[in-house]
Amino acid sequence: MKLNTDMTVNRITDEIWEIPISEKPGMLVPARIYATQEILQAMDSGVFDQVTNVACLPGISRYALCMPDGHWGYGFPIGGVAAFDVRDGVISPGGVGYDINCGMRLIRTDLTLEDVQPRLERLMTELFRKVPAGVGASGFVRLSGEEFGRVMTDGAKWCVERGYGWHRDLIRMEEGGCIEGADPASVTDHAVKRGINQLGTLGSGNHYLEVQVVSNDRIFDPATAAAFGITGNEQIVVMVHCGSRGFGHQVASDYLKVFEKSMRRYGISVKDQQLACAPFRSPEGQEYFSAMNCAANTAFANRQVITHQIREAFETVFGQSAETLGMELVYDVAHNIAKVERYPEGDLLVHRKGATRAFGPGSAELPEPFRQTGQPVICGGSMETGSYLLVGTDRAVSDTFGSTMHGAGRTMSRAQAKRTVRGAELQQQMKQRGILVKAVSMSGLAEEAGLAYKDISEVVESVDRAGITKKVAELRPIGNIKG
Amino acid sequence: MAWSFQFLEEIALADIAFEAEGESVEEVFRGATQALLESMANPSTVSDGWERAIERSDTDQSALLFDWLSELVYWKDAAGVVFREAPLTLRQEGEVWLLHARLIGAPVDYQTQELHADVKGVTKHLYELKQTGSRWSVRVVLDV
Repeated sequence: MKLNTDMTVNRITDEIWEIPISEKPGMLVPARIYATQEILQAMDSGVFDQVTNVACLPGISRYALCMPDGHWGYGFPIGGVAAFDVRDGVISPGGVGYDINCGMRLIRTDLTLEDVQPRLERLMTELFRKVPAGVGASGFVRLSGEEFGRVMTDGAKWCVERGYGWHRDLIRMEEGGCIEGADPASVTDHAVKRGINQLGTLGSGNHYLEVQVVSNDRIFDPATAAAFGITGNEQIVVMVHCGSRGFGHQVASDYLKVFEKSMRRYGISVKDQQLACAPFRSPEGQEYFSAMNCAANTAFANRQVITHQIREAFETVFGQSAETLGMELVYDVAHNIAKVERYPEGDLLVHRKGATRAFGPGSAELPEPFRQTGQPVICGGSMETGSYLLVGTDRAVSDTFGSTMHGAGRTMSRAQAKRTVRGAELQQQMKQRGILVKAVSMSGLAEEAGLAYKDISEVVESVDRAGITKKVAELRPIGNIKG
Repeated sequence: MAWSFQFLEEIALADIAFEAEGESVEEVFRGATQALLESMANPSTVSDGWERAIERSDTDQSALLFDWLSELVYWKDAAGVVFREAPLTLRQEGEVWLLHARLIGAPVDYQTQELHADVKGVTKHLYELKQTGSRWSVRVVLDV
């Protein structure tokens, strides 16, 4: 088997591959990659190098993991998962990512393709108008410094209290959309100034808002789908992918700088500057954890304000209230975050970077609607191919620190994608295939062409076969908004 | 022009990487600044209604350049602007390097400006400012 690495990679099962600790000096645990053989062979060399770098970090537990959508990232690979003992392990911004609590949200409706198709152009125009996207976009919510502090501590709860959403939305978010232990004092003034005007904005890059259809023949688990509010029959749903915007990036940048200096004091050396870290229990580690939680709550709030705007856009176009249209939240999941969770080893700080929590039905942490089913897992594909709704399993909890994939994973550089396809042509081609795209930047659109990504269906198959999530439904795009 | 830059494709699959070169450290600062400006927008499509004077100092040239580039990204979000130009001078006083710069640009306008990537951060991945013979160069990876 030819791989993009010289390291020994042993087959554990058809979907699990292990790099033993003998392959790199300093590895404390083996590295495990979840992938089919085909996906493993296509993985870039950065994945193998970076996941084994992570395996060298102090206090790491069991394995350094990489999901099948893994590719090169900063410090950790995208798709990386690692858990550290809270007593003697570290916390690393490189294990969370710059876009703290970048995540996915799915909103269901009672509308069908037949209802939406005649008004799709108007709907996309209205959504594009109401949800700012792209470089320098600012949102409609104007906040004082004090109010922004409340957003940091209360997350989506703050939004609901201000009328941007419904109380019942909160139960359908990871951590109820509000993570405890977020102290605005741990955040720099720079970060506040970068983020204070960005609430309710989509951003750019691979962030998007997508109107999708669920057909009966693409529902794989009807009972779980029904429990999540997914009924098929060409049902319309709306997916949102975005995070904490400039605020989260500034928090990450600020603390990477802090950790670079403090590592010497704690006697920590890392294989890559982007893995800068601090002991979790150290003052620096706790301050970053608090600042990261501020950014995570801001990301929940960002997606909540966007949800409010989406509901208003649908109300305008269809002349009915969002409640009448059945626009309930299916779920909101983070895929760039570090959280303390309990496993047989004890309390562990689980870093997920481009990886999603995937708790199964046995998890006491899940709220009532998901105790019987497991939590929804939302995975975004490319804007041309489609996305998936999955469900977490107890196997994920036992094998992967309750984690699974988050998306398709990129395989082509942005520049190469732009050389291969022109944005305006792509927009036209997609329109002919029934996908209406509104984009702020045509070059940005070309960069996100489907050909730049892995086949998400194959990625999904590998986690389904490994048993760490199960397929519920495939979601087909008909309208997309990009920054 | 005593500086140049080129975008590097194979370094950061999902992001933007570039290498800037110059005949002096000051010139490499200029080359890297221009590469960052062009990553965010076509500078020739941006007017000049917004301006900020920036002064920074550091004993480490590499850290100073990193902070300066990060400052550009900060103002893009904090002021909601993109940039037309950023003239700068760099001089040394004893151990300390002093950067004097002006950021010139305008609020983001989708109608008139050719906007490129929303750069989110300057990263330390493969970041290196070095001198080879009489040439200086820096490699920078931007998170977008």
